[in-house]
Amino acid sequence: MATKTFKGGAHPPERKHRTEALPIEYVGTVKQVVVPVNQHFGAPIQPLVKVGDQVKRGQKIADADGRMTVPVHAPIAGIVKKIEPRLQSNNLEGSAIVIEADGSGGVDFMPPLDGFSCGKDEALARIREAGIIGMGGAGFPAHVKLAPPPNKPITVVIANAAECEPYLTIDERVMAETPGDLVEGMAITMRILGVGRGVIGLEDNKAHLMDALEAAVKDYGRGAAIELQLLKTKYPQGGEKMLITAITGKEVPSGGLPMDVGCVVQNVGTFKAIAEAFREGKPLIDRGFTVSGGACKSPKNLVVPVGTLVSDLIPDTIQIDEDALRRVIYGGPMMGPSLPNWAVPVQKNTSGVLFLNASESKVYAEGPCLRCGRCMNACSCRLSPALLNVAIKADDFDQAEAIGLLDCIECGTCSFVCPSHIQLVQRFRVGKQLLRAKKQKEAARAGK
Amino acid sequence: MPANKLLLSSSPNAFTGADSRKIMLAVIIALLPTTVYGVVLYGLPALLVILTSVISAVLAEAGFRALTKQDSRVGDLSAVVTGLLVALIAPPSLPLWMAALGSIAAIIFAKEFFGGLGANPFNPALIGRAILLMSFPAAMTTWHAPFGALTDATAGATPLNIVKMGGTIADVGMGIAGSSDYGATLWTLFIGNRAGSIGEGSILLILVGFAFLLALRVVRLITPLAMVGTAFVLSWVLGMDPLFGILSGGLVFGAVFMATDYASSPITPLGKLIFGAGAGALTVVIRKFGGFPEGVTYGILIMNALAPFLDKLRVKKYGFVPPAKPVVAAKEGAK
Repeated sequence: MATKTFKGGAHPPERKHRTEALPIEYVGTVKQVVVPVNQHFGAPIQPLVKVGDQVKRGQKIADADGRMTVPVHAPIAGIVKKIEPRLQSNNLEGSAIVIEADGSGGVDFMPPLDGFSCGKDEALARIREAGIIGMGGAGFPAHVKLAPPPNKPITVVIANAAECEPYLTIDERVMAETPGDLVEGMAITMRILGVGRGVIGLEDNKAHLMDALEAAVKDYGRGAAIELQLLKTKYPQGGEKMLITAITGKEVPSGGLPMDVGCVVQNVGTFKAIAEAFREGKPLIDRGFTVSGGACKSPKNLVVPVGTLVSDLIPDTIQIDEDALRRVIYGGPMMGPSLPNWAVPVQKNTSGVLFLNASESKVYAEGPCLRCGRCMNACSCRLSPALLNVAIKADDFDQAEAIGLLDCIECGTCSFVCPSHIQLVQRFRVGKQLLRAKKQKEAARAGK
Repeated sequence: MPANKLLLSSSPNAFTGADSRKIMLAVIIALLPTTVYGVVLYGLPALLVILTSVISAVLAEAGFRALTKQDSRVGDLSAVVTGLLVALIAPPSLPLWMAALGSIAAIIFAKEFFGGLGANPFNPALIGRAILLMSFPAAMTTWHAPFGALTDATAGATPLNIVKMGGTIADVGMGIAGSSDYGATLWTLFIGNRAGSIGEGSILLILVGFAFLLALRVVRLITPLAMVGTAFVLSWVLGMDPLFGILSGGLVFGAVFMATDYASSPITPLGKLIFGAGAGALTVVIRKFGGFPEGVTYGILIMNALAPFLDKLRVKKYGFVPPAKPVVAAKEGAK
């Protein structure tokens, strides 16, 4: 099969070899969980429980009305000990529900639902009630993507199996061990959207999964037309826009969404969660992720209850070399945030926890821009990072916007390739916020 | 939990091994073949010009930055590149104090005054050469045939000089190849055994360096190709011998090592194309109609001035949506 790809990008060292062949380990019981209330992208939700309540595994513990909301469920059975601000994996503090296990073992799942015979609204409600969000990182509510407005017809459902971040292998393991879940989740999604075409897009470093996936499409797809598409192993191949362009040849218009080009993209883990929400009535309360890095002595693929503190997994499940440890990252090294400690919960969108040593976490002083153009050749959005950098440094946000600041997907490829180690994407992140604030201010002034 | 030693910074947390120093080192290595060949052709005087020029460039940069209380950037080797380039486009018999002056002018006037590495609007080495050419026109245009003593008595003419003075390519051939045969003349020019600047002569060795830079992706093919291609076509249109035009003078050296200077050339692909084409065209126009036999220096310097404008020719961004056309502006004007 010819591999497809997008223009630009870079090749960070993959470093997947330590975990890609290791079967997923399931950690069933933990003594406590710290469940952030707001793990999704959208409107905030509120706790439904109070301190002292006993909760069952799978019981809804936070929710709110509104389209852009997703409920949160208790990942373990136990007693609500505290509801207080805690450090989350996005490096910000947010309200979290602390549940201590009480050994009662109560389970409160929804009744199973046949995703291939139920009504469309019923299916959408099930996906929302199961608390499913995009598990690739952004945390966009899954049911919102599956209910596009009538003027945006969807023609293809894409499974994002690129897993282009270095180190991470959890999606690969899910596909190797339970390919049927991915296929079933896709088939249900295609049925909800009334779409006749599904594509699993995976980087060619995972070509060995092709046979298993093809077999799973036959066995679990219920006749859904799901194809496999190999993609070039290149960062950020798993960026939603890059994936869509590689597979369909279309580009998501500036400021638009995948549905503008008839696409719905979900991560492998999200499809698996959808399959489980129908088959078992199980909400999204467990999260698979990869533990790796040079300062990690026990690299592995793990599934733990959402809200598990990584510090609680040490030393029984994870062993680290604290002397060598220099950096802790939740997610992948290209986009994941560095955290000040590892007493931070695994969340619905945590795809990895990396313990990096000194050679993996170099820090450089920013040098002068040579204008070598490497960032421009690498930019996955064909922007001009070097010119954006100049505009932002000069506080010229009109120019920055004109040359595409808001189109930046923050993949970090520009900073990765810069020979002067200029903080390009870092400056764009700040710049985007400043630009949005400026626009809001101007809009408010114009409204007066 | 011992957390105070953990590094906290915004992602990404991975980097390529590339840095400015390695890029400059690659340029120096790419210049070595033609540099060594220049010393072989012209002997000790050429070596001394090169050493003087490089050392004064490094000292000028270090001195200026110390004087203005800025961090030293000697380690990035960019001053070495500038000094080396100034020497390679100078005649081998240049008095050493002039070589030093050219380098110092290049570093201080063309580079450090504008902020140093990456901030120079004009190519520093070419500014150095332009200043020397205007200040010391005689010394800067005194040429010598290779493999001889560099005295006044042995002074000769470059191939472009000969043609500018009304000579023919056959005359050039008689001088450098000992034969008026066209093919033998071009071959000798390609090898570089002829009078000229220290490092500009051997097209072959310049191309070797170019291939090295291309392989490392330090430079892109587009600018040199556009420059030489345009010069070829325009020479032909203007009735000059296009092959001779490319193989003589500093066209190829300038296209490979000067027009590709990061800071003073456009950063966008279309900008690079137009920049290269413009520099090539100006070179030929100066050669044909100007007072100087060679036009590479001013051709590139003039295009340098346009580089910021050429940077506006950006590639269309991902998902570009053409702006909606303004709705009938004429009516508003009538109010």
